[in-house]
This record gives sequence, C-alpha cells and structure tokens, in this order.
Amino acid sequence: MLTLKNVTKRFPGVLALDDVTIEIRPNEIVGLIGENGAGKSTLMKLLTGAYRQDTGEIMLNGQPMVIRNPRDATSKGIAMVYQEQSILPNLTVAENLFLGREEDFVTFGRLNWTKLKHAAKKELATVRLDVDPLTLCEDLSFGQRQMVELARALSLASRTGGTPIILLDEPTSVLEAAEIEILFRLVGELKSRASFVFVSHRLDELLSLSDRVYVMKDGKVVAEMPAAKASVAKLHELMVGRSMHGEYYRENLQKPCRKEVALSVNHASLGHALNDVSFEVYNGEVFGVAGVVGSGREELCRVIAGLEKLDAGEVTVGTARLKPQANHAVALGIGYVPRERKVEGLVTQMSVAQNLTLPRLGAVSRAGVVRKASERLIATEWIDRLHIKTPGPDASCRNLSGGNQQKVVLAKWRFAGSRILVLDHPTRGLDVGAKEEVYQLIRELSAEGVAVVLTGDTLEEILGLSHRVMVMRDGRAQAILPCAVGHKPSQVEIVEHMV
Amino acid sequence: MPHLNATLKAKLGDNAPFIALIALYLLIEIAQPSFLAPSTQLGSTFVVLLGSIDLSLQAVASLSSVIVAMLLPRYGAMAAVIALAASFGVGLLSGVIQTVLRIPSFIATLAVGGIASAAALTLSGTRSIGISDETRNASLGWTTGSSFGVPHEILLGVAVFAFCLFLHRSTVFGRHVDAIGAGEPAAIASGLRVSGTKCLVFATSSFFAGLAGVVMAGRLGSGSPTLADQFLLPAIAAVIVGGTALTGGSGGIGRTLVGALLVSVARVGMTFVGISVFAQQIVFGVILIVAVTVAFDRSKVLIIK
Repeated sequence: MLTLKNVTKRFPGVLALDDVTIEIRPNEIVGLIGENGAGKSTLMKLLTGAYRQDTGEIMLNGQPMVIRNPRDATSKGIAMVYQEQSILPNLTVAENLFLGREEDFVTFGRLNWTKLKHAAKKELATVRLDVDPLTLCEDLSFGQRQMVELARALSLASRTGGTPIILLDEPTSVLEAAEIEILFRLVGELKSRASFVFVSHRLDELLSLSDRVYVMKDGKVVAEMPAAKASVAKLHELMVGRSMHGEYYRENLQKPCRKEVALSVNHASLGHALNDVSFEVYNGEVFGVAGVVGSGREELCRVIAGLEKLDAGEVTVGTARLKPQANHAVALGIGYVPRERKVEGLVTQMSVAQNLTLPRLGAVSRAGVVRKASERLIATEWIDRLHIKTPGPDASCRNLSGGNQQKVVLAKWRFAGSRILVLDHPTRGLDVGAKEEVYQLIRELSAEGVAVVLTGDTLEEILGLSHRVMVMRDGRAQAILPCAVGHKPSQVEIVEHMV
Repeated sequence: MPHLNATLKAKLGDNAPFIALIALYLLIEIAQPSFLAPSTQLGSTFVVLLGSIDLSLQAVASLSSVIVAMLLPRYGAMAAVIALAASFGVGLLSGVIQTVLRIPSFIATLAVGGIASAAALTLSGTRSIGISDETRNASLGWTTGSSFGVPHEILLGVAVFAFCLFLHRSTVFGRHVDAIGAGEPAAIASGLRVSGTKCLVFATSSFFAGLAGVVMAGRLGSGSPTLADQFLLPAIAAVIVGGTALTGGSGGIGRTLVGALLVSVARVGMTFVGISVFAQQIVFGVILIVAVTVAFDRSKVLIIK
C-alpha cells in the first residue's frame, strides 16, 4: 500500500499541494479529479520522483521512502503512463519496451534480437497487443503506442515483486472512443495484478472505471469517496464548489457593451483541435473561453494571434481577413498575451523599455533610428500608469516578478495601440495581489473599448471577468452563455458543457 | 573637480588594457595594413547575435575579389560596386534559403559558401587574376592610398566599425536583431518581421565580407578564388573571443572590435616570429575552443548537437 501523508509542496507564489493525504491500496483503481491547477500533476510528479515534497511523507507499506527520480520510482514499483507519450517513434516496439534494460539481452556485446523479441512478445501479451515486436513505433496508432507504454510501465514496476502501482495521466485524451473502451477493459483486467491511479477530466469515464475517487481543489483533497456513491453532478460541485467573489473580479466595473463587432471567427477548423468554431467579439467586451486542456481553446488563442494556420474558415477584423502571420495580427491591432510569458511574452534579457516598444518601435524612431530619449520617456510613463515595480526603464525584465513582467506585456500592447487582446492564462503563476492588479487592468482595457478574448486556469476567473463565455469541448463550441453581472451562470452549468 | 578626475582615472584604469591593445594594433596596422579581418568580423557579429553562423564569409570575400579583378578593366570603379552587390546578393540568398526553406544557417551558409567558392574558381579559371597598377590606381586607388598619414585601410576599418556600431546600437534593425537573437518566439509574437530581418542580417554580413575582398584585391593587385581561404576561423574566433554568445542575443560590435584586435595582434605576432599562415590556423582553432569554453559553463548544457 502506498500512502502520502500530510504532503505539502510549494512553488514560488503557489501552494501546489496543501497537506494532502492519499492512500492507494493493492489491486485498486483510484480516480483523481480536479480542475487545472488543483494539484493533480504535482502529485503525480512527486510519485515519479520528478519533484520532492517540502513536508510530509511518502510511505510504502508503512515504511517512509524517498523517490529520487523516475528510475528510482520504478525500482519501488511505481511507473507512469505519460499523457504526452514517452515512446520513441524511431525505435521498434521491443526496443522501447526494454529501453535502458538492454543488458539483459546482450551476449558478448551483441544485442540478442531473438531473445529480445521473445521477451517483448510476453510483455505485449499482458496488454493484449498483437503486433510484431520489431515494428517501428511510429507505425502504430496512438492507442497501440499507449498499450506499449502501459506494457513497459507494468514490466518495469513489476520487477520489485510487490503489487506495482501504475499512474495513468489523462490516458484517454489522445484516444478514439473504441480505443478508450479497450484501454478500460484492459485496466479492469489488470487490476488483479496491479493498482492504478487514474487522472482524467472526463468524470463519467473516471467514475465507471475507478473503485474510489479523490477530489482535489486548490492543492487540497476536498473529498474522498467510493465511486459507487458518487455521481457526476456531485463531483462537479465538489470540483468547483466555492462561492463567487464578485468584488475580487471588479464586477462593479463590468459594463454592458454595445454590439459593435471587433473580431469575428467564422467556421474555424484546425486538425483535431478546432472544429467549425464561429463567434464574434464586441468592442469593450471580455469574451471568456472555457474548456478543459485539449478542448481547443489554446489553439483558438494562437489562431487569433496569427501564430497558427487554419485548415478552413477565417478570422476577420473589420473587413480584413487575418493572415496566419503574427505581424499581420499585430498590424490589425491584435495583441497576444501568451501563457508562456518568459518565452513568447517578453525577451527577458532586454530592458523594460525595449520590451515595451518592441511591437511598435517605429513610433519612437525616425528614419529607422531609434530615439532613445523618447523611448525612455514613454517607458517611464507606462511604468507609472501601470504601477510596474522596476528599478527603472533600463532594468532587465529577467529580474522583475511575474506580476510585473505580465504588466510589461500588457503595457506593450497598450502602447502598440491594440484594439483586440488575446489573454491566454494571464494570471498563471501570479500571486493573489498580482492577480487582482491584472483583473483591474482587464477592466480598464474593457472600459477603453478594447475587445478581450480570455482563457484562464480556473472557471471562476473566466466567469468573474467575462461578459460572455464560450464553452469548448473537443474542438467544438458547445455553448455561448451570457455572463451579465448578477446573472452569471454557475460553474456547474459550465462544467456540464465542458465534459 | 577632483571627483570627476577620480572617475575618469578609474575608467582609464579599467580600460587600460583595451587602450594598450588599440595602440598596439594601430602600430601593427600602420606597419603592415590588413583590412580583411576586422571588416568581415564586424559584419558577421550580426549573424552571431541572431544565434546563427555564417560559414560562407571566406568564399564570398574570394568571389568578390575575383569579380572586381575581372571587371575592372571594362567597368572601372563600377566593378567594385558590382562585386559588393553580388556579395550582398549571396548573403540574401543564404537568408532566403534559411527562412523560406527553413534550413539552419549552418547548412545554408555551408552550401552557399561552397557554391560561391566554386563560382569564384570557375570564373577565374582557378588562377589569380592580376590587376595592372594603372587600372588599380585609376579605379581602386582608394584602397591603397593614405590621407593625413593614415592608410586608407585603417580609415575604412574605422568607418565600418562606426557604421556597424550605429546599426546595432541605434537603429530599429539593430534592436530587432537583438530581440530575435535573445527571444525569437517573443519577437515573432510581437509582430516583428523575423524572416526579413534575418535575410538582411546575412546580406549585411556578406556585404562586408565582399568589401574585404575588394580592398584585398586592390591592395594585392590581384583577385584570387582562394584569397580569403584562411579567414573563416579567425573571423569567427574574433566574434566569440570578443564575447558575443554563440547562442545569440548578447554581445555587440564593440566587443567584436576587441576580439578582432586580439586576433589580429595574435596573427601578426605569429607571422613576425615566423609561423606560417597555415600553421596559424592551429592556434585560431585552439583560441576558438578556449573562448567558447570560458565564455559559457558548458557543463549545464545537457545536450550538445
């Protein structure tokens, strides 16, 4: 039996796990649910040794233990099937299965393929995968690759002799319906020889497979119950159930907006990510996009920012049709505040002033020569207006706090005169105070008539800030719900469309 | 103003080795001018700032010398202009190959360098092409003379330095190069014309390599397809020794000047003690490896490709 006792893990600005106690019994399937940022991934990473807890203990059969790294985890009987598959596509199935353990198959320095093949056949039989072990993994379907990964995890974790514990992180997100069914049947069968921890956004799936579920929220375990006693509706409520803080989101500043179209997306389709999505955003409106990871909302943001090319459909601003180029998006007045602030938001080793003027350097230059005095002046002005805490306009952005970095990104687009802003997780990694400042800035943008497309980590945030919310699922727009102050839909209503 | 004097003294103290280096360099240059190295190095700094590399410099310089030597009798001073335009074009080609076909600069410039080198060999019939003193003095006189007792090569070098410094420090182009080198994803998301800037950078670098070729042809009185063969290694060494990071985004023209001076002094010094041009490559190879090792703690880099 594996036990986590009073485990706490803190990252700068975030309490990722707060006094979490969980146990995984032998031959049991444990479901783990929660919103993005609830702490599920951190928990998995503790169990595979990618992170170490700050306080608390991880115990195997009552004995405290330290998991040093993923390899060490497998030696203690814990293995993970990754969401982003970790199979190497250019190697054969057999090679992937025994990657890092080839020494068992070497005779006089030469890899014994016959032996390797036989061993692989045996491992594949446990997951009922009938493929030639010498097939290259790139020739397998996603579902088959996942089976290979599961077989590898099982064989690695079984070496200890105890009951292995297999972690399944969103295993169904890349699978087709038929493949999901095969996976579930298999996990049900394998229960006799292993325990499973199953993380999924899809509550119905999770309930049908699990014996027991843990519900996490804001780094805490808020409920634990046998799956038989839980219902999807009840889990929804537990996942999101908290009171709305209107004041926190400056709802008093949310004013109705006129129906002047700023941006329209028409029949946008992109691979599996977007499927015939259409909507309009008005001047001064905050348009929220809700959905789980993989619902297509990330891709939608990138399409509007000109960073992805649609397979079909179009994005228009006024009469202009957006080309799939970021510089065209910027020219049309679209600004992108990316989730990866330090990668796409800022050139961190450049100064505050240099970052601020980057999208519209022409405005502070004459004949291609930057007028540094006026650049500094403008930067100083924005530093004051947005209360950016920096030693000065020439300070490197690298040394600013996350909240102040985000303000520089916002200031940059305001300086560029953007009339449409795409905010992709604008408060990710920020502490409460910084979040509130960002909310205030979003309200100010809205008051100035800037159209905002917003997606975030929590539903509460999206609902609190938006005039309307579009709910996405599997690349489709499931619903667009009005979100007027005092008449905001409940989070449960939104979640029903999400999963 | 004792305070000011103190800071001035401190500054002088800080820069004393640098000033000594410049003095040493000028002495050597006046005794034995060689413009080729600094010009190519300054231009290629922009390429390294992008985090890219230009391996076609020496081929472009040689090609440019061949073009100017061949066309001089017929076109006079226009020959130099044509050679420079061709060099610019070759750089532009490298840039377009990288951005349109999405091929790394290492491969693109290696291939384009090979093409330019072969073009120089073919055009010249693999021989060096002489320039008569008469034609040279008429059309390329500016490469050899001196004004106010200073050889024109040094004046040109100073002009190239000032121009590159201005380009990097003061223009929109220079800022964009820095932004792309230090954070290309952010530069793209900010709406910069990344491909266009990259093409211009390679064209600029190539242009200055071509200028070096023209000046060398003027001074030596001939153009040759192998004229600059030994110059790639010192050129890259100068940029890196100066402290512009190969990973892009940090460094600059001023630093390259220091690197260029060091490399030049090393080269002339070696020539003085009688080490052959070919054997000198050993030293530049070692300098390059040492400079990269010292500049950056490689132990933290997990994967080297």
